[in-house]
Amino acid sequence: MKVPQRLKQSREFGIFLILLAVCIIVTVAAPSFFSIENLFDILKGNVVLAIMAIGMLPVILTGGIDVSVGSMVAAITIIVGNFLMKGSDNILLAFVVGCLSGAFLGLINGLLIAKLKIPPIVATLGMMSIISGISLYYTNGNWITGLPKNFIDFGRTTLGSFYQQGDEMIGLPVQLVFLVFVAVLSWFILRHTLVGRGIYAIGGNRVSAERVGYSVDNITVFLYAYEGFVVGLAGAVHTSIMRQVDPNAFNGFEMQVISAVVLGGASTLGGYGSVIGTLIGVALFAVINNGLILMHIPTFWQKIVVGIVLIASISFDVTQKKYWESHNTKVDIEEA
Amino acid sequence: MKKNTGKKPQARFQSKESVLFFIFIGIFVLMCVLSPQTFLTWRNLQSMAFQLPELGIFALAMMLVIVSGGMNLSITFTAALASIVGGVVLSTMTAAGMGPTITIVAGLATFVLIGFLCGALNGVIVADIGIAPMLATLGTSTLFEGVCLNITKGGAISGFPDAFLWFGNASVLGIPFPMIVFVAVVVASYFLLERSPFGFKTYMIGCSPTVTEYSGINVKKTLRIVYIISGILCAIAGVLMSSRYNSAKESYGSSYMLQSISAAVLGGTDIAGGYGKVVGTVLAVMIIQVISSGLNIFGINRFITTVVMGAILILVLTINYISSGRKASSK
Repeated sequence: MKVPQRLKQSREFGIFLILLAVCIIVTVAAPSFFSIENLFDILKGNVVLAIMAIGMLPVILTGGIDVSVGSMVAAITIIVGNFLMKGSDNILLAFVVGCLSGAFLGLINGLLIAKLKIPPIVATLGMMSIISGISLYYTNGNWITGLPKNFIDFGRTTLGSFYQQGDEMIGLPVQLVFLVFVAVLSWFILRHTLVGRGIYAIGGNRVSAERVGYSVDNITVFLYAYEGFVVGLAGAVHTSIMRQVDPNAFNGFEMQVISAVVLGGASTLGGYGSVIGTLIGVALFAVINNGLILMHIPTFWQKIVVGIVLIASISFDVTQKKYWESHNTKVDIEEA
Repeated sequence: MKKNTGKKPQARFQSKESVLFFIFIGIFVLMCVLSPQTFLTWRNLQSMAFQLPELGIFALAMMLVIVSGGMNLSITFTAALASIVGGVVLSTMTAAGMGPTITIVAGLATFVLIGFLCGALNGVIVADIGIAPMLATLGTSTLFEGVCLNITKGGAISGFPDAFLWFGNASVLGIPFPMIVFVAVVVASYFLLERSPFGFKTYMIGCSPTVTEYSGINVKKTLRIVYIISGILCAIAGVLMSSRYNSAKESYGSSYMLQSISAAVLGGTDIAGGYGKVVGTVLAVMIIQVISSGLNIFGINRFITTVVMGAILILVLTINYISSGRKASSK
């Protein structure tokens, strides 16, 4: 089989090969990996990570970073939980409330970064302290349980029927719909709109993007607000999966999200990355975690494997890039 | 870099560091006036002096790397790994009945060695392979955490010799020993960063690695040393931390990671690299300590203290932005 040159050079393809290799190793070592039940479990367990990683992707594409997503999604789950308990048990409204409050928090991030020129890592670091402080003060670390029955039933809904478990038919978890929605929406925005082209342009070279006529500030505000919107959706989806709210469930989650995006081939210097790549990155993360459990390897190894895969895949990527560049006769004037 | 030299005397008082100094004095006096019975007591000052050095050393480890245009997200797990491996050496040698002197010397050597190795790994990945520092250290921090968990199996390492507890808990002439270590680290960092050729190279790399390379400076070697020093500083913080807790665990001090970035940035360090002073970072750490102790004394919920810290970080950078805009327009 001949692989087209363009595909061979793409980072997504390299990561896809790693994913394939990991899948084969896990399947050989633990045949139960390759069963519909297990694959559905992986899907349901990582749908929130996948949604948030896709939300983070545009931010990383512009060379920014957001370390506040963990505290943001925790705050959203608290808001959604409280809305369901004290406001109304309308499922649609709960999702709308989640998305809007996420977009609002994201908007603040965007304004701090674009209008006050605070570096992204510092602005989101400050927001992280503020959001998590308020969330923990408000909840005092207590869980919210006993959500309305219709919301819980909604979270258990499955689509179609694939296999039998006990006397009920199991289908695809309903939460997958939201992942597909976010993936398609983000793909469309990034590939087929002016804003999307602007995001890649800013990541490539901020000054050039500005000179070409993109409004860098407005695009920045938009993409952080969009990220907030997606994180808001992720918060509502998480609540529907867990059927309860734990204010501490997302401690340190931001690093997992960033790792997944980076594993998916996005460059943190900006300008390169795709929705497909991010999804493959999340899948790689998920398969490693699931595979280690199925192979009865102590969970303590999980972090080591993830760390090594992270370093190795980026090293491979960087070395490969250097190789292609050194074999290119084109003279590139680097920005000092 | 040296923005103040050769300018009019009053320019000296407009530097970021002198503003920080006045803020520190202001907040300190405010706390003293509001709560003279509890804040301005020997006991409270001493307890602050016990708490401050850990964040202070982490912040310097972070600041050094940020000045070189990088980022080190692995500082707390470097400290944890050093504490755990050092802790294993300390507790096994104690259990084997070896003398306390040899045990502590070997233990401290292990701490420093692990800090060195972690830093060297970061340095090689950043400088030689060329991975963006934030990603490289994100990867190594996951790796170090994994190694920590593998050694401890999720528990804590304990059983240190009694003499080891002295490092984190003893006072010399009423001055807490961690504070003495901190002062030594501050002085060493100052001379290393602001008074040595190595420091000058570090600032240059932070401004522009390309130009530095063309100036005939070995950028890779300098960066490796930067990350190694950062790793060793983390190991020193690890000694104080494990001695104070009388145990070692991977989660100890994990909240210091983002706090140390905050402290460095509050202290005037440019997150993009090329500017940052030891005295600024030290003042920022002191301000953070006084505010958190003060709010604690007033009985304010610790989560609200977190909110205040975040708000201060954003506020200071907003003021920086507004004042730099005004200066630029008045020129």
